[in-house]
Amino acid sequence: MANLMDRAEGAVELALAAGAQGAWASASSSREVEFTSRDGALEKVQENTSRSLSVQLYVDGRFSTHSTTSLQPERLKSFIGEAVALTRALQPDEHRELPDPALFAGRSSVDLQIADAGIDSFSNEQRDVWLKAMDAEARADDRVISATGYVSTSRGEGAAVSSNGFEGTWGGTSVWLGAEVTVRDEGDARPEGGLWLGGRRLDQLQDPALIAKEALKRATERLGTTKGPTTATTMVVDPQIAGRLLGRLLGAANARSIAQGRSVYADKIGQSLFPSILTVTDEPLLPGGLASRHFDGEGIAAKTLPIITAGVLENVWVDTYYGKKAGLTPTSGGRSNLLVKPGVDKGLSELIRDVGEGVYVTSWLGGNADGTTGDFSFGLRGHMIEGGEIGRPVGEMNVTGNLLDLFGRLAVVGNDPWPYRSTQVPTLVFDGVQFSGA
Amino acid sequence: MSTRRTFLKQAAAGSATLTMPTWLAGCASTGTPQAASVTSATPDNPFFSWFGLDDALVRRVMATLTSRGADNADLYFQYRRNNSITMEDGIVSKASSSIDEGVGLRVVVGDQTGYAYTEDLSEAAMNAAAKTASAIAHGSASVAPGALTHRASPHSVYADRVPWSQVGIDRKLPLIQRLEGLAKAKDPAITKVRIWWTDTDDRVLVINQLGHMHTDSRPQSRLWCSVTATKDGETQSGSANLAGRRDIDFYSPEKLETLAQQAADRTMILFDAIRPPAGEMPVVLAAGASGILLHEAVGHGMEADFNRKDVSIYSEMIGRKVAPDFVTIVDSGLEENERGSLNFDDEGNPCEKTLLVRNGILESYLHDTISAKHYGVKPTGSGRRQSFRHAPMPRMRCTYMEDGPHTRDEIIESVQNGIIAETFTNGQVQIGAGDFTFYVKNGWLIEGGKVTAPIRDVNIIGNGPQALKDVTMAASDAALDTGGWTCGKAGQSVPVSQGLPTVLVSKLTVGGA
Repeated sequence: MANLMDRAEGAVELALAAGAQGAWASASSSREVEFTSRDGALEKVQENTSRSLSVQLYVDGRFSTHSTTSLQPERLKSFIGEAVALTRALQPDEHRELPDPALFAGRSSVDLQIADAGIDSFSNEQRDVWLKAMDAEARADDRVISATGYVSTSRGEGAAVSSNGFEGTWGGTSVWLGAEVTVRDEGDARPEGGLWLGGRRLDQLQDPALIAKEALKRATERLGTTKGPTTATTMVVDPQIAGRLLGRLLGAANARSIAQGRSVYADKIGQSLFPSILTVTDEPLLPGGLASRHFDGEGIAAKTLPIITAGVLENVWVDTYYGKKAGLTPTSGGRSNLLVKPGVDKGLSELIRDVGEGVYVTSWLGGNADGTTGDFSFGLRGHMIEGGEIGRPVGEMNVTGNLLDLFGRLAVVGNDPWPYRSTQVPTLVFDGVQFSGA
Repeated sequence: MSTRRTFLKQAAAGSATLTMPTWLAGCASTGTPQAASVTSATPDNPFFSWFGLDDALVRRVMATLTSRGADNADLYFQYRRNNSITMEDGIVSKASSSIDEGVGLRVVVGDQTGYAYTEDLSEAAMNAAAKTASAIAHGSASVAPGALTHRASPHSVYADRVPWSQVGIDRKLPLIQRLEGLAKAKDPAITKVRIWWTDTDDRVLVINQLGHMHTDSRPQSRLWCSVTATKDGETQSGSANLAGRRDIDFYSPEKLETLAQQAADRTMILFDAIRPPAGEMPVVLAAGASGILLHEAVGHGMEADFNRKDVSIYSEMIGRKVAPDFVTIVDSGLEENERGSLNFDDEGNPCEKTLLVRNGILESYLHDTISAKHYGVKPTGSGRRQSFRHAPMPRMRCTYMEDGPHTRDEIIESVQNGIIAETFTNGQVQIGAGDFTFYVKNGWLIEGGKVTAPIRDVNIIGNGPQALKDVTMAASDAALDTGGWTCGKAGQSVPVSQGLPTVLVSKLTVGGA
């Protein structure tokens, strides 16, 4: 870590010596190991040891960013020298300044619980045991064509420093287990199912056999999938994929999109846009969170940021540069852990029972949304909900509309946020949603 | 976190796919060494001096890499320099540059792969990585290579150009500013114009366990024009881009004018665009960018890694009639200056033109070295990787359909109620189930054989083999898309190209309102 800080400080010194008035530098390194097995045999072993340095330059009112993996002292010196010269060729931009040092203050020192020393001493024998455990469960069905298991561990750390007084370090680990299963269906189709679970620490892992069992179940549940109907009905979104929907809803909730005239939220901050059951918070200090941090990419000290409170859009993500352009006070330019507040005390299966009839969405396939207007159209797969039960598997369907209108139809938020993503969302139920299919 | 899930997108950073790239997951070889010129490595090989290598050092690292045996082993040295420039709100306000340098070391035994990389090109670091990668093998040392020999590619599909390292920012700024002015002037409703320029020089040196060396300098560039317009209190935005393995002279005043016009047209039409009805209907795919259909519906499923594992819907379909006689689908690495083209692939196999479907019959998968050995065929030059940080796997290059027997007018007139799909942002496919999607940004409604209204923002979904069967008409206006595409698979992104003549698919599911 001291080494990384030296490297970052050295880069800032080189930039100032080359004529920059301001500079920000960060140095990082990482190590990852991934083992893959297929049908009981080791298929791939990959070990990555990586490093890089990045620099942001403020030169005569102009701005540029640079990164390199080539760190020999003489190469680095000429790289930064050329970068400063390049910056001078741009046009001055009054909005480009280093972040206000006042935003660096008040940094939390709480233990984020995102690093586990056990990752470093983790043995290949243990990886092998886990892969074998997953393989045994994943292939426990005659219809299985192929099953793949993954064990992935990593550690990353970094240090950043700026010419206006910022200094900070970070570090964390992660461990993930994954299983993917392909089964034979009628005709040529080979439906697949998979599951990845993990976290920052070994104690966040689940039993590998359970992961494989669930992957197999997901594959076999797709057997006999038919094209779903064209209909307007209730939509129940599985918590595992609801995070992506929320991510799309808030895709343009930032100063950059607003400043560039590409945000549906341009004039809506402070307005009640959604039902009061929707509350969304950006929580960078979440213990063990996949996106937890003490400060953001600009050095702004991390704090809880309410995004939507009881349906009201309270804040958007604002960085220094686009904040100035859009006339908004910086909050943080980057999303961290995004948490949707649980609603009724019911989980997925109870909500499906309550709904009675509708479409239960288990995965998205493609699709997109227009951040300027909120118009969207997503492909999906899932099941029909029939008599309060999960019914026949359906696919080749789209859901289409406007994201603000869709979330206006949010009827129920469940109690079961999915913890294996940085965006943690419970089961969501929407009324009167337009689907297209057969 | 499905590695089998693949996606395609237009945007670079902040792309709009629903996939999570970190979790996800051609050219037919002539295989004729006599076509390649063979010369011994000389001390003035510029790639050796760039990477600080010499003959003996390379052979020592290779000996470590193959110390426990190998069917295949390679060293992939790469130096990639990228520059980008952003113009926003009338100011050239940001430039970026990056250098990415390192070596990837690979050992293959049967279908098992050991892989490691390092950004530190010292002998100690390379040997440590070689030792790590070699651990997959459990045999005795392979015979170390003798003298290294340089093998030139029989192809040169992006030669005779000025490297981007020799093009100063003073030559790029005028064309960026010119494009901005052109776009702004297209309509008084246009309030914002954003221009994004990016260029890359990519130097690659691949050395395999036989001592064969392949060198390539791969240019890449792209120019984006995004506009936002406001009319009667309503705001719309759109964009267009131009991309390829191109040099600066490609970006002529005429090209800039076309690009500005495209960006403005695609945005201004949105004020009048509607959502089509929901459900199954005939879809006319406009010539050019609609090649996204092939990429998703057939291309990915024909990548041989999926097939040798028996997990693709096309795993048992070679030799089968899958489409009408007039359908011939190509994946080629040899389209001059196209974004997906390569002189040789990232394993050193020369690229060529591979026929996926010939006259309606499924003909060939896309192979890397591992799958070619599995099937007992020659590699098709399709082994690609994102960078030295990744092991290669079969990937598409430029995927397109050849001309068909119909005309565009005949095709549109044949449709009672349907749509034309014209511009796209992204697509995705499930390899095993065969379900694919692509997102239509701009298009048209067809009613009674006539084009009646602009449409917008609809996702289209279908099943690969069924969609091929349902290609009922194709015109003779085949074209490659002029915009750039990036394909994602198992966490690796590579540049690709695609094209199509005007095509009618008789039935697809359209996400309407």
